[in-house]
Amino acid sequence: MAATRKQQGKTMETSGQADEVRAAIDYGIDIEMLIDNIKRDPGELIRRHQTALNTAEKLREAKYK
Amino acid sequence: MKSNFFNLLERLVRADVDFVIVGGFAGVVYGCTYVTQDIDICCDFSTDNLLLLQKALSDLHAVHRQTPKRKKLELTRANCREYKNLYLDTDIGQLDCLSFIDGVGDYRKVKEGSRIIEIEDMRMRVLNLDELIESKKAMNRPRDKEAVLQLEAIKKLKKQ
Repeated sequence: MAATRKQQGKTMETSGQADEVRAAIDYGIDIEMLIDNIKRDPGELIRRHQTALNTAEKLREAKYK
Repeated sequence: MKSNFFNLLERLVRADVDFVIVGGFAGVVYGCTYVTQDIDICCDFSTDNLLLLQKALSDLHAVHRQTPKRKKLELTRANCREYKNLYLDTDIGQLDCLSFIDGVGDYRKVKEGSRIIEIEDMRMRVLNLDELIESKKAMNRPRDKEAVLQLEAIKKLKKQ
């Protein structure tokens, strides 16, 4: 499960992460999801993106029915 | 319409189109968490390459997305040179083909600033992370600002 922003901040403080990571957390980006993603290969990232896009398209179609 | 970006890329690779994945979809390849509605590629806008591109999309009813009547894609040796960009819609997704990327340069520069990735048995080029960040900074739209934050965090996390 993705960490809350507060939890992410705590993780960052304890591990001394960089300003770039802090800036992303402050903006509201789910840094845990980024950490998970960078472990995946491009093929898996594209497949997962496709699944998310297909879901979004189905929801959009349902909205207009 | 049901998008299938993997199939779209596969067609370009199999048809030997000279291209580099850029834009939001390149961010996805590096691990960005957003969902993008199209694929942006930078490609060689030579006549031969554009005709290969057209061949790759031949059965997908490709149209110019931004023309009033969604004009059919009908490239010929005579008209290829008229185009600097192609904003296409196909049966399996939107494909934007660009000849120049802000913050990076023309196709030659973009290709120099790219790397090869392997997906299943296919090899294709994607813009390097640094160049992608520069291109997003140059575009500077609200969604680009978020993309830059994600990409810079990814760059830092990859180093750790």
